Amino acid sequence: MGKYIVTNNPLVKEKLEDFVTVEYLDVDYPGLLEAVRDLVHQGAILLTHPLSGSVKPNETPYKSVLLTEGSDKLTDLESIKLIESAILTAKKFIEDKPDFERNFTERVRKDCQLIDYTLIYSALPSAGISTI
Amino acid sequence: MAKYKVVHYVNQFYGQIGGEEKADIPPEKHEGKLGPGLGLATALGDDYEIVETIICGDSYFGEHMDEALPVITKWVEEIKPDLFIAGPAFNAGRYGVACGAVCKAVGELGIPTVTGMYEENPGADMYKSDTIIVKTRDSAAGMRKAVPAMAKIAKKLAEGEELGSAEEEGYIPTGVRTNYFAEERGSKRAVDMLVKKLAGEPFITEYPMPIFDKVDPAPAVKDLSKATIALVTSGGIVPKGNPDRIESSSASKYGEYSIEGIADLDPSNSETAHGGYDPVYANEDADRVLPVDVLREMEKDGEIGKLFERFYTTTGNGTAVASAKKFAEEIAQKLKNANVDAVILTST
Amino acid sequence: MKLQLGYIDIKDIQFDKNPRIENGVLFVDPDALIQSVLQDELIKDAHFEIARPGESVRITPVKDVIQPRVKVEGEGGIFPGVMAKTTTVGSGVTHVLRGMSVVTVGRIVGFQEGIIDMTGPGADYTPFSKLNNLCLVMEPVENFKQHEYEHAARMAGFRVACEIAEMARNLTPDETQEFETVSIKESFKQYPDLPRVAYVQMLQSQGLLHDTYVYGVDAKRIVPTIIYPTETMDGAIISGNCVSACDKNTTYHHQNNPVVAELYAAHGKTINFVGQVITNENVYLADKIRSSDWTAKLCEYLAVDGAIISQEGFGNPDTDLIMNCTKIEDKGIKTVIITDEYAGQDGKSQSLADADPKANACVTGGNANMVIHLPKMDKVIGTLDYVDKIAGGHDGSLAEDGSIEAELQVITGATNEMGFNKLSAR
Repeated sequence: MGKYIVTNNPLVKEKLEDFVTVEYLDVDYPGLLEAVRDLVHQGAILLTHPLSGSVKPNETPYKSVLLTEGSDKLTDLESIKLIESAILTAKKFIEDKPDFERNFTERVRKDCQLIDYTLIYSALPSAGISTI
Repeated sequence: MAKYKVVHYVNQFYGQIGGEEKADIPPEKHEGKLGPGLGLATALGDDYEIVETIICGDSYFGEHMDEALPVITKWVEEIKPDLFIAGPAFNAGRYGVACGAVCKAVGELGIPTVTGMYEENPGADMYKSDTIIVKTRDSAAGMRKAVPAMAKIAKKLAEGEELGSAEEEGYIPTGVRTNYFAEERGSKRAVDMLVKKLAGEPFITEYPMPIFDKVDPAPAVKDLSKATIALVTSGGIVPKGNPDRIESSSASKYGEYSIEGIADLDPSNSETAHGGYDPVYANEDADRVLPVDVLREMEKDGEIGKLFERFYTTTGNGTAVASAKKFAEEIAQKLKNANVDAVILTST
Repeated sequence: MKLQLGYIDIKDIQFDKNPRIENGVLFVDPDALIQSVLQDELIKDAHFEIARPGESVRITPVKDVIQPRVKVEGEGGIFPGVMAKTTTVGSGVTHVLRGMSVVTVGRIVGFQEGIIDMTGPGADYTPFSKLNNLCLVMEPVENFKQHEYEHAARMAGFRVACEIAEMARNLTPDETQEFETVSIKESFKQYPDLPRVAYVQMLQSQGLLHDTYVYGVDAKRIVPTIIYPTETMDGAIISGNCVSACDKNTTYHHQNNPVVAELYAAHGKTINFVGQVITNENVYLADKIRSSDWTAKLCEYLAVDGAIISQEGFGNPDTDLIMNCTKIEDKGIKTVIITDEYAGQDGKSQSLADADPKANACVTGGNANMVIHLPKMDKVIGTLDYVDKIAGGHDGSLAEDGSIEAELQVITGATNEMGFNKLSAR
């Protein structure tokens, strides 16, 4: 069973692709969650919570999720429930502040990338993924 | 001259134009009060005057909301009333939705709005956070109680008085969360709540959990090639001509139709009764909602045992949960009696 | 385990060359005190400022709030495993500087938040507007690594708090209070007729700027465990959490845990408060399942009839909260949960990211999305540079006149999920 990260965060790709498969997608936050949902429908199982972090979906453009290939091609119902409700929640936040990214400086962007990176990084020991 | 100008909205029935046969009339306006407006005017008192009554057919509104709403709001804007009242709609589904939608649109003009409905009216759930909906009984027998209750809240809104809680005032909880400072801090409230819960005494949670009717999925079908599969839809697919006149929204019934010998749905044998989506593609090929063609192929190829000879259909749009539940229970029983092994549910 | 807290009331803070506590006034020598801060090579610059209740002062971005305490009698020292040896704390005598705090201020990441207004509408929402705050404003060196600097800033606050508290070691407290939790065996004898109640505290543990430490151990690496509530009064749990100002638990919250306080207040009267379980909020789903299983198991093991569960943060912790609640309820133990809400600016959206009908007793700290207007203050401690980017702020949050329009989220401690405040929603 292969574990892999789906992310729209370039820092995650740069720092972690030597240790784990990283699928980088050039999409926004809801787009990333929707891509994860599609993978779950095709049999992937969520290993990390899609709403990790206290930085809300309308405060950061970056999101990374750790998944594993299921042992069969059946859709994991718990994963579907989680990702669907995460998509609803994310969209609710973004509706409140649709242009939150407009005045993000490069430094804020980098900081958002770093926070998202540390959130996914914090899950790797639990997943048995070594980064040494 | 009265201090406060009021506009009242009613359907074709309460507007004294006619019953279901007149349900497709477009909006029209009538000077002064009419129907339930007479009682309302009395309850509101001399400071208030219903200067205009707007009437619209329930079916027309349901099917042409995008056209009806701008007409109605334009009329309201011309009058600039201090208050807008719709209904009461009791348990009439389409009327309730219309009252809610009209109140929402008028509310966006900055005019206070009130309507009245039975709790299970689908309009109540759809619009409870957009307007104040006074709780009424489920039929017009509740008119005598509903009118003064609506008038009382309407006056408070027009006069800028703060409304009490939904329980105190008798309206349907708006679902809008408002912050306030409680008497005690949260941890103390938590301990007090736990003490009551432990003692089996009543306590009031500060955030009622949204309740979802959860159903555990049935075990997987062991052998599809021997299974009888049925189709059930809330997408409104009906035989050409909609023989049972299933409503386009807020359905009061479901249909049971044979598909024996039908390999493919097409415009000659099927259409949709659903008023909640653009019907063009479903009318062009109803298999897009009720996949008879694909299942016939699977039947032929032996992938499934057989397609059950009847299908069940209703329109999900605006249909009260209680009605949907009742339909489902009956349909499920019929399917069980017919030894159907599995069902494909399609929606739109 | 028994702990006596001796409260030394601090009514004012003044700068003075001669540090001392006299007639309820704390005198600190900023030049001497800053030296222990600057010894960390990651901190380029630092200075102190004082913010008093009622002053027209805005403090931002706030990292942590810490109450100075000193261990006078008994084992160990304040902030075990961090500032003192890892020896178990929670017994003996501890002196508390009541009515003041050390607030660490300064940027760690570009969108970090945390506003404390000492007057005006914002002051009503934060408990820290009622304290005399010694603000430690820090600037990092160039090209710092955020996680290293977060650590440096965290430690600087603790060092300052401990140095100040040392002045209270030999003072006579204005008031004393005793707290005791007995062994499981004793607890059955103590109040056999009262319902047994535990406190389940969830600790934020998701990664950088989202961490909590227990005796110096990163909470995401613990399995749920039992702790004496008095241990937390001696600083056994500290905050490394720097985002989501409204519902992060600062170190001050942990030291003055309001659930612990209210459970002790009801102990022997309406309930038998038998102990505290701490658990984490990890991002890894299997960790969530394990931790909630263990939390329920520990409640069962303590043989309690009821439990209060407090949360920290929003989103994925909602899942932990509901898992903890349902699993404990499934053991036949009645629960009350404390959370806060993100119901949207209009209050119409679903408040929590997860829900279950078993969570039928819920206390809320309010809707964090509520928009609040914060008028300009005469003085800013820290910087307003990040107000447009902080969580809960938005482009244009900071008006030209220095006023701020933002969500309640930006205010430190506003919707605390340990029930520290009176704020609620309906």
